[in-house]
Amino acid sequence: MSYIIYIIIQIFVMVLTAPLVNGIIKKAKAFSQKRTGPPVFQMYYDLYKLIQKGTVVSDVSSWIYKAAPYVVFSTALAAALLVPVSTLVTPTNSIPGDFILMVSVFALGRFFMMAAGLDTGSTFGGMGSSREAMISSLAEPSILVCLFTAGLIAGSTSLDGMMTFMQGTGTSPTHPVVVLLFLALLSIIMMETARIPVDDPSTHLELTMVHEAMLLEYSGRHLALMEYGAAIKQLVFMTLLVNLLIPHDQLIGFAGVGAVVVSLLIYLLKVILLAVLIALVEINTVKLRLFSIPNLAALSFILSFLAFLQYFLMGGGNV
Amino acid sequence: MGALQIDNFIHTSILIFAVGALVALALGKRDRLCNLVSNSICIAAGLLLMVASAMKLLSGSDLIQIELFQSSLPFLTLEMKIDNLSALFLMILSVLTICVSIYSMGYISHYYGKRHVGLFNFLYITFILSMIFVFTSSNAVFFYMAWEAMSLLSYFLVIFESERMENQRAGTLYIVMTHIATAFLLIGFMIIYSYTKSFDLFGSSDAIPDTAKNIIFILFLLGFSTKAGAIPVHIWLPYAHPAAPSNVSALMSGIMIKTAIYGLIRFVLGFLGVQHTWWGALLIGVGIVSAVLGVAYALMEHDIKRLLAYSSVENIGIILIGLGVSFTALAQGNEMIGALALIASILHAVNHTFFKGGLFLGAGSVHYATGTKDIEKLGGLIKVMPVTAVLVLCFSLAISAIVPFNGFISEWLTYQSIFAYIAPGQAGTNILFILAVAALGLAGALAAACFVKLFGISFLGLPRSEKISNVQEVPVTMNIGMGILAFLCLLMGVFPLFIIRLIDGVASDLIGNSILGQLQGGFLLTWYSMDLSGTVISPFEILIALGVLTLLALLAIRVFGGEYMERKYGTWDCGFEGINSRTQYTAAGFSKPIKIVFRILFRPSRKTEAIGGTYYYPDRIEYKVESESIFEKYVYLPAFSRIRTFSRRTKFLVQTGNIQNYLVYIFITILALMAYNRFV
Amino acid sequence: MSSLFDTLSVIILLTSFVLVANKRIKSYIKTFRVQSAFIALAAGIMGIQSIMEEGRIDVLVVCFVIVVLKVIYIPKLLSRTYSGVEYKVEKDFILNIPILVLICCGLVVFTYFSIATIDGISQGYNDIQIVNSVSVVVIGLFFMISRKKAIGQIIGFLVLENGIFITAMFATDGMPFIVDMGIFIDMLTAVMIMGIMVYQISDKFDTINIDKLNKLKG
Repeated sequence: MSYIIYIIIQIFVMVLTAPLVNGIIKKAKAFSQKRTGPPVFQMYYDLYKLIQKGTVVSDVSSWIYKAAPYVVFSTALAAALLVPVSTLVTPTNSIPGDFILMVSVFALGRFFMMAAGLDTGSTFGGMGSSREAMISSLAEPSILVCLFTAGLIAGSTSLDGMMTFMQGTGTSPTHPVVVLLFLALLSIIMMETARIPVDDPSTHLELTMVHEAMLLEYSGRHLALMEYGAAIKQLVFMTLLVNLLIPHDQLIGFAGVGAVVVSLLIYLLKVILLAVLIALVEINTVKLRLFSIPNLAALSFILSFLAFLQYFLMGGGNV
Repeated sequence: MGALQIDNFIHTSILIFAVGALVALALGKRDRLCNLVSNSICIAAGLLLMVASAMKLLSGSDLIQIELFQSSLPFLTLEMKIDNLSALFLMILSVLTICVSIYSMGYISHYYGKRHVGLFNFLYITFILSMIFVFTSSNAVFFYMAWEAMSLLSYFLVIFESERMENQRAGTLYIVMTHIATAFLLIGFMIIYSYTKSFDLFGSSDAIPDTAKNIIFILFLLGFSTKAGAIPVHIWLPYAHPAAPSNVSALMSGIMIKTAIYGLIRFVLGFLGVQHTWWGALLIGVGIVSAVLGVAYALMEHDIKRLLAYSSVENIGIILIGLGVSFTALAQGNEMIGALALIASILHAVNHTFFKGGLFLGAGSVHYATGTKDIEKLGGLIKVMPVTAVLVLCFSLAISAIVPFNGFISEWLTYQSIFAYIAPGQAGTNILFILAVAALGLAGALAAACFVKLFGISFLGLPRSEKISNVQEVPVTMNIGMGILAFLCLLMGVFPLFIIRLIDGVASDLIGNSILGQLQGGFLLTWYSMDLSGTVISPFEILIALGVLTLLALLAIRVFGGEYMERKYGTWDCGFEGINSRTQYTAAGFSKPIKIVFRILFRPSRKTEAIGGTYYYPDRIEYKVESESIFEKYVYLPAFSRIRTFSRRTKFLVQTGNIQNYLVYIFITILALMAYNRFV
Repeated sequence: MSSLFDTLSVIILLTSFVLVANKRIKSYIKTFRVQSAFIALAAGIMGIQSIMEEGRIDVLVVCFVIVVLKVIYIPKLLSRTYSGVEYKVEKDFILNIPILVLICCGLVVFTYFSIATIDGISQGYNDIQIVNSVSVVVIGLFFMISRKKAIGQIIGFLVLENGIFITAMFATDGMPFIVDMGIFIDMLTAVMIMGIMVYQISDKFDTINIDKLNKLKG
């Protein structure tokens, strides 16, 4: 029973919060440029409008083109089930997945997205797919080493277990391993969710597109599903960062439904703050040249690797 | 089901195979009948073998002994001993044989009237027989004979289409490399014999001193990794696998390179006993290099079968990483993790047999239907070959370790075994292990990119050349053969425990430790880690979750968005109205960013040539990119040229053509032998 | 409190990685400035600690000197020198950036292995700090090797000195005052001389790319 409650709360929170993050980031960027910018809830309106429109399907494409949006959306949401938004609602027998499974589920979505880019026979789709292939392969060692280190500290690869452990140890946020993991996960979010400095999410120039290029042919409800899937993926990574490294559930002294509500509100606050931080990074950097992205990926890998070194070679001290 | 019945089944199946080989030869000229009959015999024998080996693994009875040939010559006893390890490899051999034989019924039809189908089937069946003997031989002499037979028969199969120059060269390279490997093995066997005075593989190795064990390990590593195709001795793989006919390539890449893994486990783990940590560390190092370099080279290929051959190198790397972790753990006395890593490694070998076999069969289907193996000329095949496309998609997902297929399960187990083993304090191996994790991640992501390229460019989009405009779906038997393998991949991915139970028998046999107690349930796969709550993954639940969420999404969209309206139009072309197959992405273009990132590995060189017209408005432009193979250029070619100059020089010294010189050689040799007799 | 120094040592190590990953002269100087600021922060905290515990003000004075010299004066001197020097847009480093970064990573591992067996260090709480600081020294030296323009050598030398200083700080809670001051004056003189020499070299040979300087042989 607690399992069903957990699933319902996860889906509810993730689906409702995902477009809000994009709105906050756009608002923060506009604020820095002394513009008013679009309203914070703009993405909800956009998605609603898109769902109601008809679609134009290319006659070159096959069933993969039509299946890909559903695969992307459902894999993003399935991965969202593996990353708890609040450890107070996790079921008693653990959730059926760990971070390796999460990475693999995202890989399924990415495979179909890249195939769909090639399906329409257009140059932009192929370009987007090939660039995405390069960026995602460079980001993957970094994600694995980073999460592995966090898992080794906690003694388990299950995300639920890792979050519970980090709450229990009372680590200060200025511990070197936490700082390194935070920076590593931040750079991974940049690479995986197509933000500046890796890819500009609001560009219209094909020269600078990566993620947008794969979506170029989509319209109507298909486009809505792809955008929604990308937003949920972004939220999943952000949840991973805030709940793992800045745990808050141990501060709630009481239990019951009120505690869950308080926990979710604090989680929302953390996500909003992280969104503002991401917007700050976007404002202050420029989109890198495509072949400078390996430099960023190398730095990201170094951050994860140093976190591993610091923790393990120094005798696995107290975190 | 007692040992006797298993014994009989295996005996019968070997007899059926032998009969099938003779029948194939006898029916030589009647192509269709020969094809049908010999493949059916293969399927029947394969079924028997599969049932027998599954029964052996499930019943857990001890060693099964079958004597084939007893002779008075010393050591020439052909005896088969089947324990759990042999039974497992026999089982995957038989499953692959059944599927490839079903496939061959349709595939060989393109040889009708052109070649000797009877000869082909004879070689095919005897090749399978030789592999059965490799897996089950009980003493080193029999193993060596079966190994040599396997190499020779596969050489004949590789050069079966011998009128093409590149096939002949591929065959020569293959036979030379495999004989060098066998030479190393032979030296190893001789050293073992000199200490233990017996060739029995199931005996004890206590009589061998420690330094000799190290030397034997290095020799076996060199020999077996050449057969397996680990870097840097992999150079024969990309030539031999494309040259062979596709069903033979499926067998070679599916099960022949696993004989090397079998050899490593049997000889090093079973016979020598792992005692040093550096053995495992060396294996992990070789595995890391093979995994990353293999898939990097695969990305650059545009011939389907060369791409798949390099991808086999990558997967051998992953298997060696798992094996290395197991050896390291066993050397330090940690039997549980040693068993877990061994199971992960063998499971990946099993998975690789199925999905790589399927991929080679798919490449064969594409070649059968279109007549070309070059991805750059394909495209849009999903519309004309829909079933093949779905099956190749399944195999591509499986090899990229994507849920819910079986590749994910073995990679997950490998990650978990490394995770369980990293502990504070052992600094050196910790760094190696985390590098292994990074290498596995990089190899996995690059493999996904590589197979998106293979699937996307071959099957999706518009056709890239006129050759393939009238393509039809392949014969049904070919799709059935592949379909069985795809179904197995999905089944083993969603319900992994039934195959892990079988492999667990191997681990408990060799190491004495069974981890099945920690893996519970039918759907769930649980590994209890060191400190905290258990880590549970359930591919079945994720599959259900994906299905339910897709339905929810459809429902929500229907509620909010109304009915589905669709309009078909051309792909967006910026208003030029010029979209044709030339404006699509090519395979070379797709992998170009990765080539530029890893250019140190590839050293690409490019050549642009403008043909015709004037300098600024040429008629055609030809653009050629070549990546050179580092190993061939810097390691093998210098070595071979040096050997050649050395032999040429000594040839002139020794073979002078003068009869008196030769008589002097004979005379000196006889005198030396007589002196040896006196002084030693 | 020691956790704060651990974090600071890690951040200083990170800035040296960022330095190696940079490609432009202005970024080198900016990163050096940031690194010196963090070192000044560490020295400052140590100084306040030593005032409260023992009443010595020398560490705080050293912190002040660092701020004046390395955060303000030397970067300004270097950027002024380099704005006067002809700047050709050419590749300044050997190989490519990701490989340089990975080599630096290997250097950190190597430093750990070399220091781990020194008695009294592997059990101490300042283990992380010492390894990170010595790594900064080694990375500074590597930076000198990997850059072709003369500015690379100067900044590398400065980072080297940074690393030595922070190692001494973490290991011994502040070196004797005279030694610190001596080192600073040495370094200041060296940088001024190097700045003047670079200007002269550029004037005479029209380039500060040390690859071209090997035409001087024979």
